[in-house]
Amino acid sequence: MGRYWRTLRRFWSTAVAVQLEYQANVLIELLAVAMSLGGSLFLLSLFYGPDQTLGGWSWAQALMVQGLYTVFDGMASTWLRPNLGAIVTHVREGTLDFVLLKPIDSQFWLSLRTLSPGGLPEIALGFALLIYGSVQAGVVLTLPSLFTVLVMLLAGGLILYSLWFLIAATSIWFVKTWNATEVLRALLASGRYPLNAYPPALRLLFTLVLPVAFLTTVPAQVLLGEAAAPMLLAGLALAVLFFSVARAFWLFALRFYTSASS
Amino acid sequence: MRIFGLNRRIIRVLLGSQYAHMLEYRAEIALWALSGVLPFIMLSVWSGSEARLGLGLDGVALDRYFLSAFLVRQFSVVWVVYAFEEDALLGRLSPYLLQPLHPLWRYVAAHLGEQLTRLPFAALIAAVFFVAQPQAFWLPSLGGFLLAWLATWLAFAIAFLFQSLIAALCFWSEKASALERLQFIPFVFLSGLLAPLTAFPPGVRALAQWTPFPYLIDFPARLLAGQPVDLIAGFAAQLAWVALLLPLVLLLWRAGVRRYSAMGA
Amino acid sequence: MALIDVRGLSKTYKVADKQPGFAGTLRHFLQRRYRDVAAVQDVSFQIAPGEMVGFLGANGAGKTTTLKMLCGLIYPSDGDVQVAGHRPQRRQAEFLRRITLVMGQKQQLMWDLPPLDSLRVNAAVYGIPDDVARRRTSELADLLELGEELTRPVRKLSLGQRMKAELLAALLHEPEVLFLDEPTLGLDVNAQSRVRQFLAEYNRRTGATVLLTSHYMADITALCQRVLLIHQGRLFHDGPLEVLADQLAPEREVHLELERPAQSDAFEGLGRLERIEGCEVRLLVPRDQLTIVVAQLLERFPVRDLDVKDPPIEELIGGLFRQGRV
Repeated sequence: MGRYWRTLRRFWSTAVAVQLEYQANVLIELLAVAMSLGGSLFLLSLFYGPDQTLGGWSWAQALMVQGLYTVFDGMASTWLRPNLGAIVTHVREGTLDFVLLKPIDSQFWLSLRTLSPGGLPEIALGFALLIYGSVQAGVVLTLPSLFTVLVMLLAGGLILYSLWFLIAATSIWFVKTWNATEVLRALLASGRYPLNAYPPALRLLFTLVLPVAFLTTVPAQVLLGEAAAPMLLAGLALAVLFFSVARAFWLFALRFYTSASS
Repeated sequence: MRIFGLNRRIIRVLLGSQYAHMLEYRAEIALWALSGVLPFIMLSVWSGSEARLGLGLDGVALDRYFLSAFLVRQFSVVWVVYAFEEDALLGRLSPYLLQPLHPLWRYVAAHLGEQLTRLPFAALIAAVFFVAQPQAFWLPSLGGFLLAWLATWLAFAIAFLFQSLIAALCFWSEKASALERLQFIPFVFLSGLLAPLTAFPPGVRALAQWTPFPYLIDFPARLLAGQPVDLIAGFAAQLAWVALLLPLVLLLWRAGVRRYSAMGA
Repeated sequence: MALIDVRGLSKTYKVADKQPGFAGTLRHFLQRRYRDVAAVQDVSFQIAPGEMVGFLGANGAGKTTTLKMLCGLIYPSDGDVQVAGHRPQRRQAEFLRRITLVMGQKQQLMWDLPPLDSLRVNAAVYGIPDDVARRRTSELADLLELGEELTRPVRKLSLGQRMKAELLAALLHEPEVLFLDEPTLGLDVNAQSRVRQFLAEYNRRTGATVLLTSHYMADITALCQRVLLIHQGRLFHDGPLEVLADQLAPEREVHLELERPAQSDAFEGLGRLERIEGCEVRLLVPRDQLTIVVAQLLERFPVRDLDVKDPPIEELIGGLFRQGRV
C-alpha cells in the first residue's frame, strides 16, 4: 500500500509540474468557468418568477443542486477528463504496453496518473454556491448530516468515475471514444436541476440507469434533512455495483487486448 | 466558371469523396447526433415548470419548438477549428495550401458530407420523440419547411464563418482554439437551445438580438415549428452576419496563409 | 538452466475480411467472414542467462508478436513460455520487476517534463528507495553519457538523447531480461553505435540477458553471437550469424581479371560460371572447394587480379525475404 501512496504523490507532483509549463491555459480556464457558471445561474433564474418553484424546490434549494453539479463538473475536468481521456491515446499509440508492464495495477495507473489543477477553481466555486444556497435555504448542519453528505458525495463521485471509466475502457475496441463521452456529458447535464423537475419516467431513468440523482439531488436532500434512508442505501449500493462493473469490464477488456492485439 | 477555385466537377468529386469518408465514421456520427439531446432534457424541465406560462408556447408548441431546436442544431454543427488544428498538427495543411482550391471548400464539403450521414440518425431520434409524444406530431407546410431549411443553412453559414475566423487566428497563436470554447458558452445560453428567447427578461433579449446567437437556433427553430416570426428581420440579420463575416474571414485567412508560408512551416 | 524457455509457441489471429467500397462494407456488416492468420507457428528456443540474442525477420514475420508474448502483452494461442521462472501472460509483479521492454518508436517518458521526473515516477512504481534510484541514475547516466539532458523537457531532446533517456528509464529497476524492439530505429549512425556500445557494456557489467530485434544488421553483428531468424511465423534459423550466412549462401563469389580473354568452357569443373565478358570473369564456388579452385585458377590462367567476396548478410536475408524462399 505504501508503494501506491508514494506513486500517487509522484503522479500528482509531476502533473502540477506539467501544468506550470502551460500557465496561460489557467487564465482561459478560469474565464470559461466563470462564464459557464454565470450562464447556468441565468438559465436557472428563468424558471423562478416571484413565488415560483421548480419541482417544489425553492430558488435557494435549486442553487444547492446547481452548486453540487458545479462541484462534480469541476471534478470531471480536474480528474476524469485528463486521465480517462488519455486511455484512448495510449491504445492508439501503443503506449498502453508500457503501462501494462509496470508492476502496478493498470486501472490505478490509468485513473490517477495526472491531475489538471485548472478545474480546481470550479470545484471551489461549486462549494461556495452550495454553502450560499444552504445558508439561504436555512439548512442546519449537524455532525451526522455532514458525515452523511460526505459519504453520499463519495458515492456520487464513484458512480461518475465508474460510468466514465466504462466508456473510456471501450477504447480497447474503438479508435475514438470522446464522442461517447460527450453523450454521457450531455445526459449528466440533467443533474443541474432537482430530480423532481423531471417527469416520472425520466426520474426513474436518472435514479437507476444513469444515476445522476445521486450526484446532486440526493446530497442536497441530505443537507435539507429530506433524504430517505432507502434512497441513501440505494445510492451506496449503486456506487459499489457500478464500480465493480467498471472493474470487471476493464479486466475483460484487457483480456481481449492481450489476446487480439498485434 | 470558377469561384475560389471551385467548379462543378470539383464540387461533385469533393462532396462524393467526403460523403464516402464520413460514411466510414457513421458509428461515431451517430454518437455525435445522440450527444445533442440537451434540448430534450431542457424540454422536460420546461414542460413541468411553473415558468412555462411565460414562454408563449402553449401545449404542443413547446414540444415542437425544442424538437426543432434539436434538428436545427444537428444541421448547423460546425467543427472547422478542430479539423483545421488536426490538419495543421499532422502536416496535411501544407499540401492543401498548394492546391488551386481554397482549403475552406474542403471543410465545407466535409461538413455537408457529415450532415448527410447524420440525417438518418437525426430522423431516427425525431421518430423516437414522436412515438413518445404522438400528440406533438406535425408536418410543416412546404413553404414553411423551405424557409426553415434556408434559415438553417444560413445559420450553418454564420457558424462556419465564425469558426473559420477563429481557425484563421490559429495561424498566429496556438491558443486561438480556446476562443472557440469561450464563444461556445454564450452560444449555448443565448441561442435558444436551452430556453426559447421569449423566456428571457426584455433587456437580455434585446441584447441577445445584437449577437449572432439567436439566429443560429431560435429563429430557424421557430420557423420550423410554425411559430409566428418576423421573417424579414430574421433573414436580414442572418444575411447581415454573413456579409460581415465573409470578407473578414477571407482577409484574415489570406494574411494567415502568407504568414504561414513566410515562416516556412 | 534456460532463463527463457519457449516450446511450441503459436499465435493465431482471427481477421475479418472486408472488400473495399460500399458493397463490401454492406456485405461485411451482414455476413462477417473470418480468416485465421497464423502470426507465429510452433516456435521453440531456449536462452541462457547473460546471452545476447538477435531476432531477425521481415516486417510482419512475427518478431514483434513473439517478443510481446515473451513480455506477457499477448496471450499465446498454443505452446508454453517461461521467462525467469514465470509465465509472462500472468504479468505478476515479481515477473514485471525482472524484465523491461524498450520500443524504438514508442516512448514512455513524459513529453513535457525532464526525464528525471519520469524517473522519479518509475522509482515509486517499482518501489526503489530514493537513494538507490539516485545512485543507479547517475551510474547509468555516466554509461549513457547523459548529463544536463536529464533536466531538460523531453520534447526539447534530440532523437538520440531521447532514446538514451528511454533506456535509462527502462533500466532503473535493474531488470535481468531486456526486450528491445528496434531500439536504434531512426537514429543517426553515431547515436546508433553509442546505443550499441552501451548495450554491450551493460550486458558485460550486469550479466543481463538481451533479446533484440533490429532492421539494422550492424546492431546484430555488433552485439549478438546468436541469431534467431523468423520467417512467415516459423523459426528458420537458430545459431551463430556465420552459420546463417553459410546456410543462406553456401557459395562464395570469385572475381577474376585475366591478361587475355578466355573461353567459357575453359572453366568447366571450377564452380559455376556466373558471367564472362572479355577479361572479366565471375565464378560462384562452394565454400569447401574454394582453396583448391583458386589454386587451379592461378595455375591455368594468366591472372592479373583475383578477388573473393562474401555476399553481405543483409542482402542475403533481404533476397531471401523477397524471393519468399525458405
